[in-house]
Amino acid sequence: MRIHAPAVALSSRPSRLVRAQVFLRSFAIQGSWNYRTLIGTGFAFALLPLLRARYRGDPAMLRESVERHAALFNSHPYLAPVALGAVAQLESDGADPLLVDRFKAAVRGSLGSLGDRLVWAGLRPVCALFALAVAFAGAPWWVPVVLFLVTYNAGHLFLRTWSYRLGLKGGKEVGERLRRSFLGPAQRILTICGAFLTGLLLPLAVAGGALRGLGPLAERAMPFIWIVAAAAAALLGVRFGSAVRLPVFLALVAFAILGTLLRVFA
Amino acid sequence: MNLIPVALWGGVVGLDAASFPQVMVSRPLVAATVTGLLAGRPEDGLLLGVILEAFALLVLPVGAARYPEAGTAAVAATGAYLAAAPTGLDAALLLAATAFALAWERVGGLSVHVQRRLNERLVVGWSESRRRPDRELERRHLSAMTLDYLRGAVVAASGAWLGALALRWLAPRWDLDAVSPVGVLVVASAAVLGAVLQLFGGWGERRLAFLLGILCGFTLLLLR
Repeated sequence: MRIHAPAVALSSRPSRLVRAQVFLRSFAIQGSWNYRTLIGTGFAFALLPLLRARYRGDPAMLRESVERHAALFNSHPYLAPVALGAVAQLESDGADPLLVDRFKAAVRGSLGSLGDRLVWAGLRPVCALFALAVAFAGAPWWVPVVLFLVTYNAGHLFLRTWSYRLGLKGGKEVGERLRRSFLGPAQRILTICGAFLTGLLLPLAVAGGALRGLGPLAERAMPFIWIVAAAAAALLGVRFGSAVRLPVFLALVAFAILGTLLRVFA
Repeated sequence: MNLIPVALWGGVVGLDAASFPQVMVSRPLVAATVTGLLAGRPEDGLLLGVILEAFALLVLPVGAARYPEAGTAAVAATGAYLAAAPTGLDAALLLAATAFALAWERVGGLSVHVQRRLNERLVVGWSESRRRPDRELERRHLSAMTLDYLRGAVVAASGAWLGALALRWLAPRWDLDAVSPVGVLVVASAAVLGAVLQLFGGWGERRLAFLLGILCGFTLLLLR
């Protein structure tokens, strides 16, 4: 693909309206996720307001820039605004398209792995465990749900806003700023909170019947054999991690079949 | 249970999981409770949501991996449970609904895979269109999101319908007392909750925080 040099007058910073439009569109960056370009098309979709403003009156350049930005790209969706902000700034500065492409290729791996660790394996399970602990403590039905949505989205929206600003300010130096940011320590704190909440929940789950919804069953003491079995299962879970998910699912199915067969053969 | 609200809500849940806006109404905890609320039984929805959330914690949507879709399955299973157990708690059906949700989330995962293949066809070749390239890309991107909404609606509604049929068939044929299925669910939840520690570095890295949590958990139990 031939890459032309920019032919239009440049402004140093995208307008406030364009920046807001790009940010709002970043929420839909995974809308056309596919195995060929991953979130590439979504990246171009989010960047369109800026590209339209930048190449107004030059359809050839607009087509070329949209094609370039719709190529393969990947990132964690909440950290994608880092790349969007930085690319918006680079495009506004009239940076060489090859430099912009190289920048995108350089950041996509780290934005993906950093976000996965911070959000999918940090913020989200911590907020969910917190909400589960509140549910196990017998709170009314709406409290755990509202708590989860509020705590999670406070972190989510902060992360998106912060990362977009970082991208706009940092431009192509954003990698270094990311490395020095609070994300690393935050991830460490989240894992400590997560381990604590996992430990907190286990006795409540093992004791059984702690949920308010179990109603009359919650009043009955759990037979000792089930408590021992649950404690052993928790230890197996700690030992084998996510590998226990499939056997547990199969055991549930087997038990459902057993319960039915007992009646059939009775 | 009326399938129309289940489908409409299922579409929102399916869309939120990845496409837009990822505010996590697609988590089983939220998806199941809201489904319960739509049927006037939010507490039953929460109960199923809590169990399914524990299972969903172990699934990480990392990279291009194929993973089960917990949100639409939670909507389907809750809809099915509420249709089959019209009054109060039925421990056997709760267990069966959990097993159904864990099976149906694989169907949901497969539908996401198919949708992504469709998106591939949708977004390739957009630049060859005669329309303005920016408008064409926008149109195709929004079409993919609309398809994702419809996918979520179909997966949730069909799951609720099939699940309700299966649970209604099962209900009169179940022959164990109420304690056993609750016991099995408690054992299963304990296993998957224990496994969650792996997300945070496992026993090797986080045993102090984990043990402190257990201590606080026991203290809470004693204070109840």
